[in-house]
Amino acid sequence: MSRLKYVIRHEFRLTAANKAFVILTILGPFLIFAVTVLPSLLAQSPGTVASGKPLALFGAPPLVEQALKATFSGMGIEVERVDDAATAKDSVLDGSLLAFLSLEAGWPDNGKAVWYSKSGAEITLYSAASAVLEAAAREARIVESGIDPALVAKVLSPPSFEVIKLDKGGAEEARGSDAFVEVLMTVLVFVMLIYMTVLLYGQMIGRSVVTEKTSKTVEIMLSSVKSQDLMFGKILGLGLAGLLQYAVWVSMAFLLKRFVGPLLGLSLPASISTGNLIWLVVFFILAFFLYSSAYAALGAASEDEQHLGQMAWPLIMFLIVPLVMINTLVTTPDSTLVVILSLFPLTSPIVMLARVLVSSPPVWQLALCIALLVMAVAGTAVLAAKIFRVGILMTGKRPKLKEVLRWVTVK
Amino acid sequence: MQAVAGLSFEARPGEIFGLIGPNGAGKSTTIRMIMNIIAPDTGTISFDGSPLSEVDKDRIGYLPEERGLYRKAKLGEVLEYLAAIKGAKPALYRPSIDAWLERFGLSEWKHRKVQELSKGMAQKAQFIAAVAHNPSVVFFDEPFSGLDPLAQDELLAVMVELKQKGATVLFSTHIMEHAEKICERILLINKGKEVVYGTMADIKAQYGRNAVQLEFDGDASFVAGLDFVESVVSYPRWIEVELKEDADPDVLFRALAGRLRVRRFETVAPSLHKIFVRLVGGEEAQNVQA
Repeated sequence: MSRLKYVIRHEFRLTAANKAFVILTILGPFLIFAVTVLPSLLAQSPGTVASGKPLALFGAPPLVEQALKATFSGMGIEVERVDDAATAKDSVLDGSLLAFLSLEAGWPDNGKAVWYSKSGAEITLYSAASAVLEAAAREARIVESGIDPALVAKVLSPPSFEVIKLDKGGAEEARGSDAFVEVLMTVLVFVMLIYMTVLLYGQMIGRSVVTEKTSKTVEIMLSSVKSQDLMFGKILGLGLAGLLQYAVWVSMAFLLKRFVGPLLGLSLPASISTGNLIWLVVFFILAFFLYSSAYAALGAASEDEQHLGQMAWPLIMFLIVPLVMINTLVTTPDSTLVVILSLFPLTSPIVMLARVLVSSPPVWQLALCIALLVMAVAGTAVLAAKIFRVGILMTGKRPKLKEVLRWVTVK
Repeated sequence: MQAVAGLSFEARPGEIFGLIGPNGAGKSTTIRMIMNIIAPDTGTISFDGSPLSEVDKDRIGYLPEERGLYRKAKLGEVLEYLAAIKGAKPALYRPSIDAWLERFGLSEWKHRKVQELSKGMAQKAQFIAAVAHNPSVVFFDEPFSGLDPLAQDELLAVMVELKQKGATVLFSTHIMEHAEKICERILLINKGKEVVYGTMADIKAQYGRNAVQLEFDGDASFVAGLDFVESVVSYPRWIEVELKEDADPDVLFRALAGRLRVRRFETVAPSLHKIFVRLVGGEEAQNVQA
């Protein structure tokens, strides 16, 4: 055990002193900020895209013009009336106009409305314009047909509809579609975090093991420490570095929620709660140990980094599956397929975490998931230690699967 | 596949022991078994009279044949790490590392990354890694390979020094001359089997025969054909002539007169290389450097 300590310390230092590690640790929260808070910031004021440029308007009837002006001034965008369509198009091209909305004579029934812009990508703006035009056209047609506008409003008013999430404690939580989008965002962020860090650390361990072979340090190491000390030293050393990274991120999330959020008048999604952050760390630790033991075994059985890359593919597939299925996970968190995936150790850390975030999985499933994970970690570690012991000394040739299986049975 | 079989030998405290043999003879395999890196199928390895344990490994310094240090780490850190996993205390290994770096002129490289070292410097650094924790036994697997002659002499001197300080020095080599210079006891192996084992003095006495070292100008190919000559081994600058048991070196001297211009004529105990050639035959000996 005393030797293991030195290996852990050495591997931790090598990892934590790495520039890429420091950058990722510091920038990580900003990336998360960009993914979580920025979209809602942008959604609140689409005017930020406009950067102060006016919108040109051609051929609109006065009522429509008023309605457009009212809508766009709310976004901080000025609407200017122009008389020459050709000049307006030029101004859009040279960048002095944000966009140009042209209504042909006879609009809405006998003419088109056209939105001209440089990129055609300012979807929030032209959908706003389109909505205003639609309402204006509808009103104009109603007036034309002689129907009482009040009657129309009554006919078209939407009936009431609410979504309520039931919790075991009897608490009822109103959930609009906004709340669901928030949860979806949190799931995305957490799942991406686990996926990225587990993959990153797994590959670091695999590479570290292969480097031990290619840099020929393994013999001198084995003359001092046992092979399992070397392997677990690597896993635990990098694991500590990973935990340090998560500690930095989680505390930054807290700071953001407590101090920075209120300061900017923003709120982090309610789903980034203390409980959920703890689940994130728990599933990271379990996934980390499972994948890093597997990667250590793969590293020991590979000839070089390239070979490791090829051999790691089947493993990475299991990390990618939940990512591809994220839509299914979030919309049907309790379907049979999702429940199975949330119990199967290679996919369960990500899938169960997503389930915990969107619904309340039964306690027995959570317990079973964690028990299976812990057993899988122990089993993988034992197997990996055996493969590692023999594989680490094999250089210069690519072992066949049959050989690797034989290493496992060597006493 | 069997790399080595039925080898048995011992090295005594404070002596320099040479494990000698041609490439592929099983030297490194033997050392790896002693270092407990690979396990022998049968047989035992004892340390101070009892079976070698993990704890004993701390008292052994090891220079593997496959050289390599963590390239991305700083030299000083790597050396401290390797000493620490040998169970040494920082108070002991820190001054020791500094002294060795000083000795090999590597002090200014202590805070640079290993990958910046030249090949020769890396060799020396690896040597320091083997001895920095002041082991009582050191194992050098082919310590001279890749070193220039100057560095080889420096290393030979260091090995003698270690011995004088009381350490047991074991090393393997395929270069007989190195072994001959400093070894007190040797085990000569070929194809995984013992060829000869004992103290250098005993072996020389046992196989000590009538031999003459000859430096000359001219063509000496006729010497092998003389009827009182047993065999001739050519070295780059001289030949070693082994005479038949009852022949007098003086007869050879007279036979050379007038046919060669002799610059040195010296009766000698046969070299280790000569003994090896005699024991395993000329073909095998091709793999061995004199």
